[in-house]
Amino acid sequence: MPYLAAFTVFLLWPLLKGLYMSLHNWNPLFPSESEWIGLQNYVDLMSDPFFWNGLWNTIYFVVLTVPAMVVLSLGLALGVNRNVRGKKVLRTIFFSPYVLTISVVAIVWLEFLSVDFGPINYYLNMFFGIRPEWLTSELLAMPSLGVTTVWWLLGFNFIILLAGRQGIPERLYEAARLDGASTWRAFRDITLPQMRNSILFVVIIQFIYQFQVFGQPYIMTTGGPAGSTRTIVYYLYESAFNQQAYGYAAAMGYILFAILVGVSLINYFVIGGDSDE
Amino acid sequence: MSDPQSDGETDPGADEADPRTDGGVEARAEESGLLSDVDLESVGVHAVLYGVAALFALPYLYMLTVSFQPRSEAIEAVPHWIPQTFTLEHYQFLFENSLIVQWTINTFLIAGVATLLILVADSMIAYALSRMDWPGQSVILVIIVASFMVPYYLNIVPLFTIVANLGLVNSYLGVILPAVASPLGVFMLYQFFKDIPEEYEEAARLDGFSNFQIYTRIILPLSRPVMTALALFMFVYNWNAFLWPLIVLQDNASYTLPIGLVSTLNAQIYRPGRTMAMALLASIPLILVFLVLQRYLVRAVELQGVTE
Repeated sequence: MPYLAAFTVFLLWPLLKGLYMSLHNWNPLFPSESEWIGLQNYVDLMSDPFFWNGLWNTIYFVVLTVPAMVVLSLGLALGVNRNVRGKKVLRTIFFSPYVLTISVVAIVWLEFLSVDFGPINYYLNMFFGIRPEWLTSELLAMPSLGVTTVWWLLGFNFIILLAGRQGIPERLYEAARLDGASTWRAFRDITLPQMRNSILFVVIIQFIYQFQVFGQPYIMTTGGPAGSTRTIVYYLYESAFNQQAYGYAAAMGYILFAILVGVSLINYFVIGGDSDE
Repeated sequence: MSDPQSDGETDPGADEADPRTDGGVEARAEESGLLSDVDLESVGVHAVLYGVAALFALPYLYMLTVSFQPRSEAIEAVPHWIPQTFTLEHYQFLFENSLIVQWTINTFLIAGVATLLILVADSMIAYALSRMDWPGQSVILVIIVASFMVPYYLNIVPLFTIVANLGLVNSYLGVILPAVASPLGVFMLYQFFKDIPEEYEEAARLDGFSNFQIYTRIILPLSRPVMTALALFMFVYNWNAFLWPLIVLQDNASYTLPIGLVSTLNAQIYRPGRTMAMALLASIPLILVFLVLQRYLVRAVELQGVTE
């Protein structure tokens, strides 16, 4: 079974080795000379301001992107599901950024948001006389990355939610109409409950995905300004591959893991808890 | 879109039916019973959807147009949505002086080989898990499904040491093999194989087919749509992969497109045209694939939605 071989070597084994590494002051050149330090890496992390900064930045990014992405893609999916012209064109446009690599997305948005040469600032300056420093001010850098991300990944959610909406039997709406239910009632009492699984999936997957954001800050802001966009995975990457603190980074990976499992469970119980299936 | 008031309210201005009513208007009229209401609402929905779509398309348009502008024009304060002077100098420069062709070949090789290996490996294990009986089967299934929960980035540090021990740093295999370990395809195919009726298999067994023959001659042909969807998704995914190739590939000539693209960013004076031309060239292969095979990719995403 070739898959089991790959799975074991490149997924299971790293998982165990990561745990082992996280308990050592890992020596990347001479692994056998690594020093066993127990939970010291985890203890150090708890008092590492960069770690906490990275964690808060990541949470901030998740809060900025996930709700916006889910609400917007739900709105677009419900819109496209109606009798609109050019459904295919709309679907193609909304979904297409998803096939771009983060490098292309980041580069295009770097130009788009450019303070002196970008079109956004040109029009803002023309109408309001302002030139916001999108990526170089602590206030706006993270929201700018958020907007970029929503543009990039909205399509994935849109497709899943559109499929979820199309899976609802039309007779439910017909029945509601006969009962004189308003559009809002139909949305609240049919659409939302029927789409619960799709919405739950999108929320969980986006939480997991956005929590691991890396490419956007790496390319667009290099974690700046003043560390305000250095996310947890970015810090993990720097610790491991710039500072060779492998054990430390492995410990960070495990904390990330614990957080994501916790968040997924919370999501599951909050949105899907009353499931009777 | 779901305007709470739209129900009871009749807009006097909407009494004249919009002449541009679309084909589905009868169905819509039945839906609320008020033709005038429907038209106004429909126009609103169209306006919002196409408005958002236009916003979505702007970054593309900007990338396209700037890539054809000489530097002097691109750095003017006024954005030109249509180039005043049309030039191909950036594309010419990139083809003559950059590694973009090499990077495209690298990316194609890595994504292509990874996709092939994933299809073979995933379909075999999914077949074994769904259609055969062997000890430990359920345990392995549970482990594979549970590994979905593991964030990818948790693994990169130990994974890198393992890849380094295997001597695969800076080699394509170092990028490809870990990609094969992804559980997504196994899960998708498992779900699909499970639902193939037993009768096919029983009939084949009566004809003396071996397990391997059932797998190649019955299961695989039946699952061509789901395999195509998976293949396309995995190709796109691996084509676009960023962090892992960034860690493993350390030599300019072995970069994939996403990494190569970023490596050019710091190395030059500000030339938006050249950067945009590069971004465009890097996206063209996948955009073409996407436009032609979109429905398979859509299917692959939908399948992920229903696996939950």
